[in-house]
Amino acid sequence: MWRLTLRSTLARRARLALTLLAVVLGVTFATGGLILTDTSTRLLDDQFRTATAGVDLTVRDAVAFDSAMGVEVARDPLPADLPARIAGMSGVATAQPLVRGQGLLEVAGTPVVPSGASVLASWAAAPAGSFTIRSGRPPAADDEVVLDEDTARGHRVRLGDTVTVRATDTARLRVVGLAGFGDRAGLPNSTVALVTLPSAQRLLRLGANVSEVAVVAAPGVTPDELHSRITATLGADYEVTASRDIAAAGAAAARDQLSWLQLVLLALAGAALLVGAFLIANTFSIVVTQRTRELALLRAAGATGGQVLRSVLGEALLVGLTASATGLALGVAAATGIRGLARAFGVPLPDGGLLLTGRTVLVAFAVGVLVTVGSAIGPARRAAAVAPVAALREATAARTGRVRVVAGALAAAAGLAATAAVLAADAPVPLLGVAALGAVGGLALLGPALTPALVRLVGRPLAAAGVTGRLATDSAARTPRRTAATALALALGLALISFMAVLGTSVNSSVRQSYAEVITADHVVESARNEMLGGLSPAVYDRVSRLPEVAVASRLRYGHWRDGDATNALTAVDPATLPRVAKLRFTAGNLAALDGGGIVLAAHVARDRGLAVGDDLPMTFSRTGTRTLPVVGLLRDGDARALSTDYLISLNTFARFYSEEMDASVLIRTADGTDRAAAERAIKAALADTPTAQLRDQAAAVAGRTQMIDQVLGLVTVLLMLAVLIALLGITNTLALSITERTAEIGLLRAVGMTRRQLGWMIRAEAVLVAALASVLGIVLGAGFAAATVRALGRDAPTVLAVPAGRLLLVLAVALIAGLLAGLLPARRAARLDVLAAVGTP
Amino acid sequence: MTTSTVLSPRPTSTAVAVQARHVVRTYGRGAAAVRALDGATVSIPAARFTAIMGPSGSGKSTLMHALAGLDTIDAGQILLGGTDLGLLSERQRTLLRRDRVGFVFQSFNLVPTLTARENILLPLTLAGRRPDPERLAHLVATLGLTDRLRHRPGELSGGQQQRVAVARALITRPEIVFADEPTGNLDSSAAEALLGFLRQAVDDLGQSIVMVTHDPHAAAYADRVVFLADGRIDGELDAPTVPAILSRMARLAAPATTGAN
Repeated sequence: MWRLTLRSTLARRARLALTLLAVVLGVTFATGGLILTDTSTRLLDDQFRTATAGVDLTVRDAVAFDSAMGVEVARDPLPADLPARIAGMSGVATAQPLVRGQGLLEVAGTPVVPSGASVLASWAAAPAGSFTIRSGRPPAADDEVVLDEDTARGHRVRLGDTVTVRATDTARLRVVGLAGFGDRAGLPNSTVALVTLPSAQRLLRLGANVSEVAVVAAPGVTPDELHSRITATLGADYEVTASRDIAAAGAAAARDQLSWLQLVLLALAGAALLVGAFLIANTFSIVVTQRTRELALLRAAGATGGQVLRSVLGEALLVGLTASATGLALGVAAATGIRGLARAFGVPLPDGGLLLTGRTVLVAFAVGVLVTVGSAIGPARRAAAVAPVAALREATAARTGRVRVVAGALAAAAGLAATAAVLAADAPVPLLGVAALGAVGGLALLGPALTPALVRLVGRPLAAAGVTGRLATDSAARTPRRTAATALALALGLALISFMAVLGTSVNSSVRQSYAEVITADHVVESARNEMLGGLSPAVYDRVSRLPEVAVASRLRYGHWRDGDATNALTAVDPATLPRVAKLRFTAGNLAALDGGGIVLAAHVARDRGLAVGDDLPMTFSRTGTRTLPVVGLLRDGDARALSTDYLISLNTFARFYSEEMDASVLIRTADGTDRAAAERAIKAALADTPTAQLRDQAAAVAGRTQMIDQVLGLVTVLLMLAVLIALLGITNTLALSITERTAEIGLLRAVGMTRRQLGWMIRAEAVLVAALASVLGIVLGAGFAAATVRALGRDAPTVLAVPAGRLLLVLAVALIAGLLAGLLPARRAARLDVLAAVGTP
Repeated sequence: MTTSTVLSPRPTSTAVAVQARHVVRTYGRGAAAVRALDGATVSIPAARFTAIMGPSGSGKSTLMHALAGLDTIDAGQILLGGTDLGLLSERQRTLLRRDRVGFVFQSFNLVPTLTARENILLPLTLAGRRPDPERLAHLVATLGLTDRLRHRPGELSGGQQQRVAVARALITRPEIVFADEPTGNLDSSAAEALLGFLRQAVDDLGQSIVMVTHDPHAAAYADRVVFLADGRIDGELDAPTVPAILSRMARLAAPATTGAN
């Protein structure tokens, strides 16, 4: 029986090729995602391990938590005498003072703005320092600098050139050396400027203070011993950390920033495999139908039902194994492609050799084989149920079972009920996910029952176009199970795309609307780099607020705090000036009350937490630990969103809890009677020394806020296109198989005078029809759930549904054109069918 | 030509509907090559009912396919109403089949998703032409399909399906109708009815019909039987009767005289 299975699989290799492709693409996606995740993780680990390779312990200022939302918190500098104190302790071989901070590099008058960090650090030789000189020499004088080789090469900087470094202070420095990092020529997506310790202290205005002290233990002293010794001597004000823990924490923080991408990739791999599973089930069920006579003959010749079942499943196993192996190989290529794609959408992933782990291989094979064999179980059972006499009978069309219809109706009803519960009864939003699953499951079950009517409805324009269109419509309606499965696979991909498009557009336009309603400033200055905490030098505010053209300048700062296990953000504002550049509407309390050191909450936060004005909110800050702030006001949700967070404190309060000297926005009202253009010129002139500061109008300010959404939207849409591609292959596959099945009918049509062109038209029309059916289902489903999600989100912040009609029409157009393309191959194949062979086929 | 006498002998007509001259058709290549037609020359008279008979493998289906423009030939010439089929492109042959030829096959004659009426009108619809209501009404009435027009093939008996196929073959007023074992799947009473209709089409409408069959009873409905053996014409029989056909078939000395073509 096994040899028979192998033979029959090979005999139909053309028929199975497309199925294979569907599984291959799904596995490719899953493998690509895993490889990319593993690789990013390893590269980040390596990078952070290199950074602390020769150091045993690091002494820093103590904080309650060291990073939030992937951003390392700022620590207070250490007193100037600390390195010497540590060096004097027994068991310490080296105690190297280090300074690190941000320093924007300017080459030939042009700022170099990397997507990552602009590192400015004091040079230290190994083992305390992590950089190695690759050419030239280390900085010795205070006007000398060493750059990383990558940056120098990328911006054509040579030894002896002069560059500008802008930190808190600015200096022109001569390049005396180029450095590497471990075996790499720099840090990924970053620029590195290494200067002497005094030079770094001056540029960052640290006086004689330092950022941290790198400690190397004397021979014979274990790091653990030294750790307890230093901790005991220095007390709780300082944090002594093993270097490997710092490396792990740093890598974890960096991974945090990429974790959403991993989620997206895995979700997409899931979608791709789900689509693939539909296609596999479809293909096998068609193949089994076509082989009914052959199977019946086998049964008549004495094969048991179990043998037939195992034969079909064996075939699926072969397909699954082949597809997994191919998908695994392609996944490696895909990982590189996705990395390039992510970069194109502004999501930088660490660059380096790809990592293929045993887990990835295992997952690839498990997923590929399980999905294939699992999808083939239904058809295999039907094959095993073929009666020996079926060899002598004409095949009859399968009807949709009543159980299936009832189950489908129940699932769909459950989906609707869950949606209604979320919308009407304030049930938790994640229930919408369950609702979506119910709806999709219901649709999958009901599909065959609904398809004939839907096909006729969608196909009405086609049928009106003539008998060829009628035949195309009928052919799609005649095999409802097949048409439904094919269309649903495509509909899933399109639903996800539509969902993302509608949700993204709605959130974007709601953000825009809140911002436009609340912010009344004439101008906004923000960092062009859209850093997590704003990244604007405080110098910008100082200069802009002194301009005669500026009546009011008010700045915003962002900070992270720990809220139990969660990390939250807050906005610090100037209660005195903010009302003149923003129209804030309070539901309780007022802005001025912030001066007392309290906090203003967005209304929905107060509602969720059961807080009112006068209550206390415990908050954990990195520098100070947990503090309790009195609630002094409640702000409307949309207004809070315009200020980016749900928690407002005053700048004075901010200064008590944070050491970050960085603004997020400067909101500007120009003086009365000042010409707008003149004001813009004056502000731009004031920004000349801070190249990353950007004068923005409202649209640009909103774009900065929605950029992340746009990036994710763009990337996910492109990746989803792959799922759609798989689904389109499904159309090609199904049509090609159904043409084999309809050979006699096609032969008849050709014999009585259907031209090749008419026949081709008919097949392509059927492909477009399936695509149209899928588009309607997908767009309605996706947009519907997006609308429900928007409604549910509206409870936390006013979110209005914005339907991107143009974009959805584009999705529709792309789907229809793609359907047409999917039909090209089968249409050609049908047109090439030998009329005689077709007529002769009984 | 309104006589209803089924087997009345008639004078040899001068008009020719379709003729084959030294037609050669080879399938396969090299050692496996089979000469299905090996220099067949035959003239099919117009307004007559001609049966083609021969043992299995004699080339009778191949000949019919060649005459009907369903298949190309390797050598020789096919003239259908003065048109040399060898000079036509694939598309021209398709249009010729659609506009000038009718077909009735042994099985799978109808498109399952179209109603009987739509199946009958299919060649006209494909050509974008309007049906002649009188002709349709006449054909449908003659074939006894009036109350079956809205039905789909699956709801029709085998005999009804074949009658729909006959109506479709005749609706375009073709120069010639080719029928390939049209009664092969029918019981004897349905077969006789169908053959009666074909006969009637020749007698009443002056239709030229060529029928491939291996059944002497069916062939006896024809005006002439053309015998085929080893890809060549092996004689003709005018005004055939069942015993005459049987004795002729026996002389063709083929290994098997039964079974499908």
